[in-house]
Amino acid sequence: MTGIVIAGAARSFGTVRAVDGVNLTVGDGEFFTLLGPSGCGKTTLLRMIAGFCELDAGEIRFGAKRIDQLPAHTRDIGMVFQNYAVFPNLTVAGNVAYGLKARRVAAADVARRVDEALALVQLAGYGERWPHQLSGGQLQRVAIARALVIRPQVLLFDEPLSNLDARLRVSMRGEIRELQKSLGITAIYVTHDQEEAMSVSDRIALMQSGRLEQVGAPAEIYRNPTSRFSAEFMGTTNLIEAQALGREGAGMVSLRPEALRLDADAPAGWPRLGGSVAHVEVLGPITRFDVRLGDGSLLKVATLDEPHRALAPGAPVTLAYDPARITVLP
Amino acid sequence: MRLAIPHQQRLPLAIAALGFLFLGLFLLYPLFNVFSASVLDGEGEKFTFANYVKILGRPFYRGAVVNTLAIGVAATFTTILISVPFAFALARLPVPGKAAIIALAAMPLVLPSFVSAYAIVLLLGRAGIVTQWLQSWGIGFGSIYGAGGIILVYTLTLYPYVLLPTMAAFKAVDVSVEEAAQSLGSSPRRTLWTVTLPIVIPAILAGGLLVFIETLENFGVPFVLAEDMPIFAVEAFKLFVGETAPNPSSAGVLGVLLIAMTSLVLLIQRRFLSSRRFATGARSAPPILRVGLGLRLLATTYCWAVVLLALVPFFAIVVLSFMEFRGPVLHPNFSLANFTALFERSTRPLLNTLMFATLAALGVTLVGVPIAYVVTRMRSAMASLLDVIATLPFAVAGTVLAIGFVVSFNSGWLILTGGPFIMVLVYTVRKVPFAVRSSSAILHQIDPSLEEASISLGRSPLQTFGRILVPLMLGGILSGFVLTWVTIASELSATVVLYSGQWRTLTVVMFQALEGGGGGIATAAASTLIIVTLLPIAMLYRLVRRYELST
Repeated sequence: MTGIVIAGAARSFGTVRAVDGVNLTVGDGEFFTLLGPSGCGKTTLLRMIAGFCELDAGEIRFGAKRIDQLPAHTRDIGMVFQNYAVFPNLTVAGNVAYGLKARRVAAADVARRVDEALALVQLAGYGERWPHQLSGGQLQRVAIARALVIRPQVLLFDEPLSNLDARLRVSMRGEIRELQKSLGITAIYVTHDQEEAMSVSDRIALMQSGRLEQVGAPAEIYRNPTSRFSAEFMGTTNLIEAQALGREGAGMVSLRPEALRLDADAPAGWPRLGGSVAHVEVLGPITRFDVRLGDGSLLKVATLDEPHRALAPGAPVTLAYDPARITVLP
Repeated sequence: MRLAIPHQQRLPLAIAALGFLFLGLFLLYPLFNVFSASVLDGEGEKFTFANYVKILGRPFYRGAVVNTLAIGVAATFTTILISVPFAFALARLPVPGKAAIIALAAMPLVLPSFVSAYAIVLLLGRAGIVTQWLQSWGIGFGSIYGAGGIILVYTLTLYPYVLLPTMAAFKAVDVSVEEAAQSLGSSPRRTLWTVTLPIVIPAILAGGLLVFIETLENFGVPFVLAEDMPIFAVEAFKLFVGETAPNPSSAGVLGVLLIAMTSLVLLIQRRFLSSRRFATGARSAPPILRVGLGLRLLATTYCWAVVLLALVPFFAIVVLSFMEFRGPVLHPNFSLANFTALFERSTRPLLNTLMFATLAALGVTLVGVPIAYVVTRMRSAMASLLDVIATLPFAVAGTVLAIGFVVSFNSGWLILTGGPFIMVLVYTVRKVPFAVRSSSAILHQIDPSLEEASISLGRSPLQTFGRILVPLMLGGILSGFVLTWVTIASELSATVVLYSGQWRTLTVVMFQALEGGGGGIATAAASTLIIVTLLPIAMLYRLVRRYELST
């Protein structure tokens, strides 16, 4: 059982600081996600842990053992790749057995453990199939089984779901989370998808320009973003001058669309704002609409679907917001 | 400070070091010696430019430069002229038997071009069969010796270099680009000239440059057909063989000039063509055009005529090798005498050819595949340098490299002259660029994350190379091996410089028979060479077919 410590990790490519002095501690058995836009350094950081990218400075430890100078093949890591990376010249069973054979596990044990791992990812009986006979989702299950079967100290996921279609992504992320929790292996997961990150993670590190922007539990980052970038990247928000909401002080505040309600639906104590409806989108379970305030600023509002409500563009409307859900940004 | 060499770079660096060592010793060192021979006096002691002044001062050698370049340009032009319509017909017109045409069209690439030249002499030369037959009807035609015949043979044997890439380019044109042109009001004919052809021009030019370089380096075709017309590669050989001073300065000058010409062409290609890639990434090949019966018949006749015409000389040689020769004169009776004469003397040349080709093809694979790995997987100045050096043999004529080997390895700590390995090594070095190119193409298709997956599962980079990359590349490596084998078996330009005593090959036997006028043995050797070339290709073709059917 292994926690991971990353201390002062840095790496530049030319003049670009891909990873710029990252300090991080991941707990034993934790599901930890590196989240950020493309080019933020999350994949470079993951590849540093895997051993495919050298550090310019800093160190990485698994438990008490420093690993950043070990060759990649001795680090005892299970890695799942974006494009599956299933060996096309080996059968499903051959793929899953690959790491066991590299560790010189006895043949009888190999067969048993391969069967167990395939059953774990719901591919029991697929051992003799060839990769080209499988669908994308099945290939990713093979890749996961292959990474789990060696019982690694750490599991690394590099955007494992981005090549799958939307529905499969949602069901697979649940399975990955469940597998990780039942096996208790420390996992680091890279994604650019905020919703995916929130659904699977114990904690998230939000990254930008090679640095950690904010680290915390998903709900914590969502509810208390410490920067404008955090507020905007973690879902939709209204970034607005405090004065536009009739509040004291200068500077920006973040107000989530669901913290706003129509006058009639809101508790009496919430502050009111007048404006007119600018644009309405009925998305099914929720309705999004924009309201233009008297000073010209636009507020995004999200409410649950309400069939008896009519919102027409141009109609005057009074909004109320929850003052407790205002986040003042530095 | 961290460890000097990161772990994941150790394997590529080790391979690169070995690659530099091999190419340094067996490519750069001999070439350096050719260069230094050209700037030293006859005793090899004093530095001088007198050799250049002497050679370039003589009209004969200036003529050689002009002839070689003029023939090269003309042959490039004729190959383009016949190949572009051919390529268009194969890509876009309804021509029956396309698979067969493409298979037959690729054959001149592996068959020895000087055999084709020799067949032309036997058919259309002074005492040629066709010539005599026409004369009996009172019809005469111009001489096929000299520039005309050389250009004809180059066109017939080198046209696939333009045809195949141009056909691929025509097929890669995204049809929506043509549709866009037509929706903007362009007629189909105008679309072809203003949209489709410009897109494929880089492919045509790239193929044309290959043809041009091949003509500069070719030794066998001008040797058979040039007669008293001076051609560069032949004169370099003659000078080297005839030179009596310890330092082969004159041959060195011609060698340096030849390398300079080919390098210049390659540099021009890199400069102007590499930035012009118009491949439009079509998802599927553009549709076959619907054309009238007349055009359809014309296209079909044209394609089959070119393909068959190019193969007639080889077919003729095989037929003629079963006829009776008295000296150089042919008699139309079936006879196995030529083969008995060839093999009675010795079967060694055949065995040598087989052995050298096998050893050298193994060498090419062992050197080329790892270098391709470094070049595709490492992005560094060192990898690009290795790429450039590994491509260099392409710009070096076989004759020149062979002269460099003789100068470098006939004394000192490593003596290779007089033995078999000097030939194997020269063949290996000459074919390395082809192995690097073809292996790189395969490696680009293999996602690097497969290697990372293997490494993260506990296999070292070296084990990963053996267990993942080699199996995935096997099909490509095997066909590369066969193609290299075949082209080495018919290598002539370096072989004539290097052979000695018992290490003669089939091509040498043919070469000597041509010099001595032994037409019978020459045809028998040529036929044997054709069979030796085609058998492995046929086997490979069957293997590939079976593999494709099984998956």
